[in-house]
Amino acid sequence: MLDNWLPFLIYALFALAIPVSMVVMSFAFAQRPAKRTRTRGLPFESGVSQGPPKTQRFTVSFYLTAMLFIVFDIEIVFLYPLAVILNELAWFAFLELLFFIGILVVAYVYVWRKGALEWQ
Amino acid sequence: MREAWWISIIKGFVLINVVLGAFAYMTLVERKFMGRMQLRYGPNRAGPYGLLQPIADLVKLIRKESFFPASGVDILYIASPVVAAFTALLAFAVIPFGGGWTIFGHYVAGQMADVPIALILLFALGSLGIYGFIVGGWASNSKYALLGSMRTCAQMVSYEVSLALSVLGVVLMAQSLSLTEIVAKQHATIWFAIPQLLGLLIFFVSGSAETNRAPFDLPEAEQELVAGYHTEYSGMRWGLFQMAEYINLITLSALCVTLFFGGWHGPFLPGPLWFVLKLIPILFVFIWMRTTLPRLRYDQLMRFGWKVLLPLATLNAVVTAFLVVLVD
Repeated sequence: MLDNWLPFLIYALFALAIPVSMVVMSFAFAQRPAKRTRTRGLPFESGVSQGPPKTQRFTVSFYLTAMLFIVFDIEIVFLYPLAVILNELAWFAFLELLFFIGILVVAYVYVWRKGALEWQ
Repeated sequence: MREAWWISIIKGFVLINVVLGAFAYMTLVERKFMGRMQLRYGPNRAGPYGLLQPIADLVKLIRKESFFPASGVDILYIASPVVAAFTALLAFAVIPFGGGWTIFGHYVAGQMADVPIALILLFALGSLGIYGFIVGGWASNSKYALLGSMRTCAQMVSYEVSLALSVLGVVLMAQSLSLTEIVAKQHATIWFAIPQLLGLLIFFVSGSAETNRAPFDLPEAEQELVAGYHTEYSGMRWGLFQMAEYINLITLSALCVTLFFGGWHGPFLPGPLWFVLKLIPILFVFIWMRTTLPRLRYDQLMRFGWKVLLPLATLNAVVTAFLVVLVD
């Protein structure tokens, strides 16, 4: 069983070597600017340079989406093992699946009614 | 049959170069097609028909100044494109592209790593890749980069739910998470594109959102966000983000071929050739969509993902489960 992972590790080493070597090359061969001034390093601001934002804030909607993702994606991951053995357990597994998705649907309806799926 | 470790090394080296070559020429083909669709030539200066354009791009990107934003977090700023490109490249390891051959008495398997949980591994790598995008945008410490990375993250996690659910139908029919067995099952019965048509459509739509392709390229909406999460990136580090996106797209199309179109199986021609022949039309559709469809609005995008695709995908999974139990 573990032997299957050896080629994967070998490939992972290649996959890591390529981006790392590219970053190293971008340091080694890159042109140097003639002079490093302070304004050169400022982040892009549409021509209005107020200095970098000190504390970065973002909308709460992104946070909400992340929470929804955790709720639904974790449950979907639990469905995968059930899907593999569904045939062996037949109707029992199917009823379990329905029960599981039923709970999910209740949560989904609640979230929908609360308006969390609307982007604000 | 087990292959020797040195064969794995040679095969890994060849495969990763093939993937990189496919990425390089995908950029050229995309620009050529887009040019033709917009009644212009596309790149045609570097080499005959612009065939050396990817190499010219590479040289240009490497020669560019390696810029740091003054207030950025250096180590994360450099590491995040590496993470994005690494996970994108790694995901290709589990895709089967042939049935395995015996060359001079040595067995060579038809895929890099035949792991029993290939499908979960693919989604896990896809989720890890999001770290590259969000950390990159955060570490450059700029308004537009932060907003872009937040959008990328929210969009990718929203559509990942539907993507994972749409594949559940295939898993139910194949009763396995191993891609090799899914391909074998399709060879024994029928391409899953036919019984799982709804699953295929959901997979395709949420896949193009997952890889930030038009019309779902909100993270890079130039009119609103300058360039999204890679606003502060230039040179090869920007190139690595582009590489990650294109290789994700290629892997996703390869996964689509594997799950829904019978993988590498086909009459007369050898497996890898069939695989490429099936891969090309899917990639072409992605390019075609980019030139044809206008970009969505962000609230439309989120509403579509959560209120249309997610219930449809769940329904597809439940109906498939019912039919699978009923038939057997």
